[in-house]
Amino acid sequence: MSAVHTAITTAEQQHRIYKAFDWIIIPIVVLVIIGANHIHAMLTMGDWDFWIDWKDRRWWVTVTPIALIFFPAALHYILWNNFRLPFGATLATAGLLIGEWANRIANFVGWAYFPLNMVVPAEIIPMALCLDAILLISRSLTMTGVLGAMLWGIIFYPANWVIIAPFHVPIEYNGTMMSLADLIGYNYVRTGTPEYIRIIEEGTLRTFGEDVTPVSAFFAGFISVGAYFLWLGIGKWFGLTTWMKRV
Amino acid sequence: MSTPSEAMSGDISKGLIGGKRIAIIFFAVLAVMMAWRVYQQLFAWDMGMDSFEPEFQTYWMNLLYGQWIVEFVLAAVIWGYLLKTRDKDVFNITPQEELKRMFTLLAWLFCYVWIVYWAASFFAEQDASWHQVTVRDTDFTPSHIVLFYGTMPAYILAGVGAFLYARTRLPQFAENISIPFLVAVVGPFMILPNVGLNEWGHTFWFMEELFTAPLHWGFVVLGWTALGLGGLLIQVVLRMITLTQLDGEVLVTEHMNDEDGSKSGY
Repeated sequence: MSAVHTAITTAEQQHRIYKAFDWIIIPIVVLVIIGANHIHAMLTMGDWDFWIDWKDRRWWVTVTPIALIFFPAALHYILWNNFRLPFGATLATAGLLIGEWANRIANFVGWAYFPLNMVVPAEIIPMALCLDAILLISRSLTMTGVLGAMLWGIIFYPANWVIIAPFHVPIEYNGTMMSLADLIGYNYVRTGTPEYIRIIEEGTLRTFGEDVTPVSAFFAGFISVGAYFLWLGIGKWFGLTTWMKRV
Repeated sequence: MSTPSEAMSGDISKGLIGGKRIAIIFFAVLAVMMAWRVYQQLFAWDMGMDSFEPEFQTYWMNLLYGQWIVEFVLAAVIWGYLLKTRDKDVFNITPQEELKRMFTLLAWLFCYVWIVYWAASFFAEQDASWHQVTVRDTDFTPSHIVLFYGTMPAYILAGVGAFLYARTRLPQFAENISIPFLVAVVGPFMILPNVGLNEWGHTFWFMEELFTAPLHWGFVVLGWTALGLGGLLIQVVLRMITLTQLDGEVLVTEHMNDEDGSKSGY
């Protein structure tokens, strides 16, 4: 390589190059996070996120936070340890929501003709803000994992109360009691309806109250703590700057 | 993508991004994706529901064959061009030239991730909406023909192109193989062979009623590998720091934000 290592001579040039680098690298990072996090999310918790009737009081509350903490944790490791950027979770969740909304409107509504209020994605930004805020305040990935990841799981359902409440209103239809979400689901029978019957419609999951949701939320928080630390490790691995002569 | 901009000949720090080439990449990819999506809107429900109908052969299988031909030709041309025009004196280029080429690599990566978005986000989840209202009678559904055999080969073209560009034109990447770069290109590439597992499973079990079925988790794990771009980003940043160092400036290339150099905060 050349003996002279630098390509510039003035601080002004350096500043201009740094800005140019930011302008090109930010869209790259955002786009890859939308793509990678979305394919991960849709294939690990997608069925719950696609449909209003799948947003039940136990499985949705449990599966979604656990599946969605993977990328925030990996990004926390990469962005915080290397760049001291504390917004990995918000970046991951906001990116995911951009991907989800674009697809739900253009394809679920615009192509498959489902009503939009049947396919609205879950709200996940509040959890990410809490996770990032705890990292920012504590400056510790360990504290963020213990406190933030637990909070991540616990507040998922409350964060969605406003969206979900109208659809969980109990109604009586042809002599059978069900939620409004169920009624919408039965009017739009999908190939996923048999799995809905097998997974969501099972008796004990269909309660309208009691302690199912808080128990599920705490369980989701508990598993999210473990998943957060596991994915810190995976983020560390993906962030390694390894070079090899041959592969 | 080899000429960033005309302004480059003066001050090296000006015009590095090459706004024109980024705009061309952005709108060219957008146009192709929109064309696919409009084609689906026009012909999926009317001509794509029954693979035994002659219309299906006309509108969808011919699209598939056309895509394959275009993809093989583009791969041969683009990858062949990159290899044929490789810099045979890559270890003796000036830092200014290396800086220019680094930004060209970033343009390649922008092209790659822009297509990755359409494949892994837009058209991948679209597939769920299709299979929730139709029962498949073929592996080559209107959503699969675009997703698996259109957008995925497209990002493979760009990803391998980016990798070859770095290997043939940037000294650091020519001297050694960047493992995170390799992971970020080969992992998503392997999603295409994983389609074989997907179709094999669907042929036996007809699992389209559950998008989160374990049969689909191969896509999940391989999708994670896109995070390898994080390691590549750090490699690029470290090199950029060297290339933009001022006289007398102290280089900080490890634990960039830790005051005492330790792994604080973990």
